[in-house]
Parts: sequence; structure tokens; C-alpha cells
Amino acid sequence: MKRRSFLKFLGLSALCHRWALAEASAAVQPVVAVAEGHDYAQITRNAIAAVGGMKRFVKAGDVVVVKPNMGWDRNPDQAANTNPIVVRAVVEEALKAGAKKVKVFDRSCNDERRCYVNSGMTEALKGMKNVELKYVENERFRKVALKGKVLSEWELYDEALHADVFINVPVAKHHGLTKLTLGLKNVMGVMGGNRGAIHKNIDEALADVNSVLKSHLVVVDATRVLTAHGPQGGNLGDVKALHKVLASTDIVAVDAYATTLFGHRPEDISVTVAAYKRGLGEINLKKVRIVRA
Amino acid sequence: MKKITSARISQLLFLLVFLVLFVNTEYRGTDNISAAINSFFRMDPLVLVSYLAATKSFTSLLLPAVLTLLFTLLLGRFFCGWICPLGTVLDLVTKRIRKTAPVRLLKGNLKYWLLLPLVVSAFFHINLAGILDPIAILVRALTFFLYPILGDGVRRSWVELYHVIGERRDHLAPAYGVLHDYLLPFRETFYPLAFLSAAMFAAIVFIERYESRNWCKNLCPLGTLLGLFSRFSLLKRVPAALCSDCKACRSLCPTAFDADLLQTDACLLCMECQLRCPHHRVNWSFRRGDYLTGVHVPERRVLLGGLVSGFFLAGTFRFRKPEAQAHLLRPPGAGSEDDFLKKCVRCGECMKVCLTGALYPAIAQAGVEGIFTPVVTPRLGYCEYNCTLCGQVCPTGAIPNLPPAPKKRAVIGKAAFDKNLCLPFAKRTNCIVCEEHCPMPQKAIRSEVAEEIDFAGNKIEVQRPYVLEDLCNGCGICENVCPLEGKAGIEVFAVKDKTPLKESVFVPEVKKQAAPGPVDKREGEGQDSEALPPASPVKGRKDQVKPAASDPWNGGDDPYK
Repeated sequence: MKRRSFLKFLGLSALCHRWALAEASAAVQPVVAVAEGHDYAQITRNAIAAVGGMKRFVKAGDVVVVKPNMGWDRNPDQAANTNPIVVRAVVEEALKAGAKKVKVFDRSCNDERRCYVNSGMTEALKGMKNVELKYVENERFRKVALKGKVLSEWELYDEALHADVFINVPVAKHHGLTKLTLGLKNVMGVMGGNRGAIHKNIDEALADVNSVLKSHLVVVDATRVLTAHGPQGGNLGDVKALHKVLASTDIVAVDAYATTLFGHRPEDISVTVAAYKRGLGEINLKKVRIVRA
Repeated sequence: MKKITSARISQLLFLLVFLVLFVNTEYRGTDNISAAINSFFRMDPLVLVSYLAATKSFTSLLLPAVLTLLFTLLLGRFFCGWICPLGTVLDLVTKRIRKTAPVRLLKGNLKYWLLLPLVVSAFFHINLAGILDPIAILVRALTFFLYPILGDGVRRSWVELYHVIGERRDHLAPAYGVLHDYLLPFRETFYPLAFLSAAMFAAIVFIERYESRNWCKNLCPLGTLLGLFSRFSLLKRVPAALCSDCKACRSLCPTAFDADLLQTDACLLCMECQLRCPHHRVNWSFRRGDYLTGVHVPERRVLLGGLVSGFFLAGTFRFRKPEAQAHLLRPPGAGSEDDFLKKCVRCGECMKVCLTGALYPAIAQAGVEGIFTPVVTPRLGYCEYNCTLCGQVCPTGAIPNLPPAPKKRAVIGKAAFDKNLCLPFAKRTNCIVCEEHCPMPQKAIRSEVAEEIDFAGNKIEVQRPYVLEDLCNGCGICENVCPLEGKAGIEVFAVKDKTPLKESVFVPEVKKQAAPGPVDKREGEGQDSEALPPASPVKGRKDQVKPAASDPWNGGDDPYK
């Protein structure tokens, strides 16, 4: 056992008695919080509060990674990237919970400089103390043994692997291949190498990666969603404002719920199905407690 | 220690401005780049004259160059002695280079044999001036050679540091950030012709060993051009000749006292002779009238020879290899190949500024005469959908300065699949990374579901991509991101018809209910973009979905409106 994980283990066991009950009940029935409203920062906070509050995940002195989708050179109106207001609210909550540092990044598809600016993230996080909005640096990718069904190993981003808490903040939107892109697929943003190559077997590949890099908390931005021509969009006619933010510790459950917002059934999304079959979470929404926040 | 002169102060200031502008020829977080970025080229009379000769028209972009010419008529070659950054670099290094005797070959008419054919060949359609333009030579040496190597060197050390001290490197990140954000290139793009670009610059420095400002005096076509105009300069030196009792000017003057009489077409106005005259006899003042001193005019046979050789030069290299033409993609908005070659001065600014490192200097794709002109190379970088920087920095409008909307409609080429390579066809696996990345709001690359038997004999469904030519602007991101190694399964090919895409391509279309049932993809080809098929003409797919909730989209309560 590495020193870091030993310490983490020690710290967690010390805290265990406080959350033992909550954890136990959560393990029994996954919770998806659904917050709706026009104040996106507030509904984000509400959704997080409804799954136990940020303090449940972030301890004082933790290094937190918040991973939004800001892969495209599109503005917030176009709903191709996670809404910066939502991201900022998550970051603020993490800081409030005592995070030593919050790192925000994404391996973008378009030019990273344009993506960071045009997504509104640079502006939204400007001047925040202990918050790092950095471009992905290639040297930080390292080969990780995934021992998965289709990927035996892949390069993953060091900072995401090293973080005490990994918060996955995808935007819910249409995707040409996987129909929708949600929490499970957002994790592609910490993958190095020739990511496109996993598309031939994307369902199992994403399950492989998500089995190793677990999201401690998933906050799905469904404030504005792309219903067609994803994942980039660009046409405001394809954007629907749903004014919703979802939160859960169960990445499959929250993806499954988000799927219903698009009129799909969770079983229609093969990425979600593959992850469910791997035991990464609950796909049957009847077994999930939906909390309106 | 020598006293510092006003000319030297001006030179250093302009060199500094030049370097600051060079470093800032880069995306810095805003869509617009300072209009001053390309000012050295826009005030360059050689660029102006070759542009006028080639296009037989004027562009207001080059108004500053007209001013330079007017001032040259008034003052002489002040540009060379007070402004030109290449001249300044030479002045800074020349004292450290021991001189041997001047080379006879470089003397005399050679400079006219360079200038005249360049200008004349421009008149006959091929603008070669940029190849020998001093500022272009300097910018290319910096852009293609020095800057990438410098940037890569620093980057490598930074990466090495990570391998040595790991996460603790973060403590130094702010310092590196400043360096990286303000001084170094964002991407260390390596260019072809880096060696040639460096060699041209190095050769100019090398010939300083024969005499000072050897290039400026005996070769530089810009200097020669300005020299022709400086014949009429009103600012004149008294006395015009060396004084018989002193002759100190001969050693003080860097360029113009090869003979006993001041050669006004070589005088750079450095004023050394006035400042250091032991007898305080030298004076500069404005005089009218016929006071030509030692002017060297090209002889008639040189003039005629230059004209004729320019005419033949323009036609000598016109052979084009058709295969190379297929991939000869010019930056967005550039007109026909002929038009582009008339206007492009090969300054390298567009390649320096290109966000994704999509532009590279042509080696031979565009024929020998197209050397150093920019070519989009999608496998290395694509044209970023929202970016308009290359048009903003182009000093001659060879790449027009288009606002974002028309730039997106400007056609660079058209994408086409190679079904022998493209995975869904060749390997019968899913992929469509190209469709995912296609930036067109209605997707120029779409896909249809096809039933296939895979190589193991199983019945499978595969999404096969296809291109809608009416929507494709040839940005090349599809070719760039194609997960195949080496040759991509989709490539952008040059097209003669560069008619911009229709505006309706970007009008947010009113959402139509996806027509269910099979839609033949051939309907999508060659049709009007107004009558586009539903966004996903795909058998049995339900991706045109409506949110389950009643449509909350009304714009009015949108926090972004």
C-alpha cells in the first residue's frame, strides 16, 4: 500500500463512524438529486446538498479535480460544454468544504486556448484563490493498467489519478455515435493517446476506464442541452433549456436518469448498459431514489 | 565606447518593436489581433511595388508603404539606416566580424539583376519578391528556425524537470507560465524549409566578412528599390565628396563611400560622417535642384536584361504536378491559385499565427515558384472553425481579412473518404470520430447505420460516414482527428470552385421531425442546402429526440440572453 493511500485509509476509517450509517444506506439505494430552477449556481448547490453536501466528499486539505466538458470551441449558449456557472458553483462548494486546491481541466478537442476562453471557464474561474485552470500537459499522462475487457492499458492524466476527490461535471448532450454523452463519456477528457481509436468499442472501453478512474461525485449539467448534431452543436435551434442540474455518487444511475430527459430509455444507451453490467452502478431507475432538490 | 547616435536609438527601438510584434503574432485569448502586427510588411515598398505589378491594383493595406516611398523621396534610404530590423541586426554583429576585401562579383549591377526580374515577373503573374524581401527573410528565419527550436528547448527542459521532481514542479509553474504565455510559442511547431530559412539569414550575416552592410548595399532588392527613389532625395550632404585633406568619411561610412563621391543610392542616413567628422565640416540639409551625386543608375542593357529575364522567369517554373495539386490547400478565403500567388509575399506571418499549426511553407507542392507560400496540412493541424487570425495578419490580403461568418463559409477544399482505409468500411467497426469533430452546425459529415457481416461472420450494425459537399468548407479537422495512423481515412482535396457555402448553412433551422424510415444517402448529395434532409438520415436511429419535459425553450428566461 502506498503511503498516500494508507493515510487516506487511516483518515477515512477515523471518519467512518460518522458516515457509517449514511454510507450504508447509500450503498443500499443509490440517490440521484434533481434540482431545477433558473439560478444555475443555486440549483447546483441544491443538488449537491441533496446527495449529502460537498463535505461528504471533500475533507479539509484535499486536492480536488473538477472535470467539466470544455472540449469544444463553443460558447455557453451553444451547450456543447459544461455551463461555467455550474462549474464555478461546484468549485466554490469544494473550496468551502476545505479543499486545499481545486484543479479544473479538460483535454479539449479544439484548440485548448480557444476552448477555455470560449466555454466561459476562464472568465468564470478568474481570480479564484486555490483554483487552477490549466491546460493539459502531455508529460502528465501515464500508462495505467486497466486490465479491462478491451483496453488492457491506457494513458490517463496524472492529476486526475492523484486527486483526493474526482468530481465529474459533464454536460448532457447528443452524440452521433453513443446517442448521448454524459458522465461516463466525460471521463474521456482525462485519457491521453489516440482517443479516437477507442470509438470502435466505445461502450466497453469507457467501462474499462471508469472502473479504474472512479468519479466520487457526478454533477450533470442539464441546464441547456443539445438534442442533435452533438457533441459540438453550434446551432441554437438544437439547444433546449431544461434548467436542471443532477448530482449523484452513482455514475450509472445519474446517466440513466439524464437519459430520460432526452426521451430515451436508459437501456437504449449502450455505454450506460455496459457500465451497469460491469457493476459500476444502477441502471434501473426504479431502484434509484430520485430526490427533488 | 562609442557614443550612441539617434540613428542607433531608432534602430534599436524598431528592432524591439519588431520582436514584440513577432512574439505577439499568436492567439492571446481574444479573437482579434492588433492591426499593428504586420506593420513592417505593410510599410515595405518592395511588397507594395510587387503587389502593384502583380495585381495591377492597389490595396489600402499597403498605404504605409506609400508613405515610406514618399519619405524616401524626401530623405533617401532612411528606412535602411533607421528602421529595417535586418539592417539593425547586421549593424549589431558587423563589428565582431573581421573584414577581408569586398567581393567583385557582388559589386555593380548584381542588385539590379535581382530587383528587376523580381518586379517584372510579378507583372507577369508570379510575385517572387517575398523570397528576397529582407523582412520576410528575417521573419522566416525566426518563425521556421529559431522560435520552434527555442520553444522546444524550453519545453523539453520543463518536461524533464517533471520527470525529475514530479509534482513539485508546480511550485515553478507560475514562472514558466509567464515565459510560456508572453515569450515562447504556444505550440512548438516544426516547419519544413527551416534549414533554408536559417541558411538565407546566415548567408547574409556571413557576407558581412567582405564589407559592412554587404547585403544592404549590394544585394537587397528592397534597398535597391529605395536606392532608386533616393536619387531624388532632397536631403543632401555637404560636401558631397571626400575632402582631399582628410578622407575620414571613407572609413566612417558603412556603405556609400566606395568612390570619392557619396553614393546617394547606398547612403543609409546613419549620419556617422556628420557626427564624427574631425573638422565638423559635414552637414546635411534640404536642397532642391540638380544636385545628383555619384548616382549609379542601371545601364540600359541591365534594365532591358532585367525586364526580359523577369518575363522568362515568370514562365520558367509553371509546371505543376497534378498529384501535388490535389493537396494544395490554401488558407481560408484565398482566391484562385493564380490570384493567391500574385498577392502572397511569403512573409510567414500566417504560419506563425495559425492556432493549430495547420499552415506550413510549401516546398514544391505549388511548383518551385510557390516556395514558402502557406499550405494547409490537415494531418498536422486543421483550420479552427471560429478563428480568423491568418486573414488578420496577412499584409497584402492574399488571405482576406474575413469576419467569422464569411470565413466559416470560405471553402478551403472538400473532404472525401477513402473507403479502403476508413474503419467502418475497411474494418467494419464503428468510429465516426470525423462526424463528431465536424464543426458545421448541421454536420457536413453524417452517418447511416448499415447492416454488415463482420469478419467473424456475425451480423452487426455499423455507422458509415459520408460527406455532404454543400456543407463542407474543407477545414480538415476530420482528416486531422482520423484515428488511423499515417494516412487518414478521410482527406481534404483542393477544388477549383471555391464558391463560399450558402448562408443558409448556418441559419438555425427550424426543427423538423426526423423523417423515420430509410433515407437514401444519395439524396444528400448535390442538393440545395435549403432543402437539407433531416439532420440524421439514418435508418432506425432515434437521435432527433425531444426532451421529455414540455418544451421549456422560450429564450426569455434564459440566463444568457
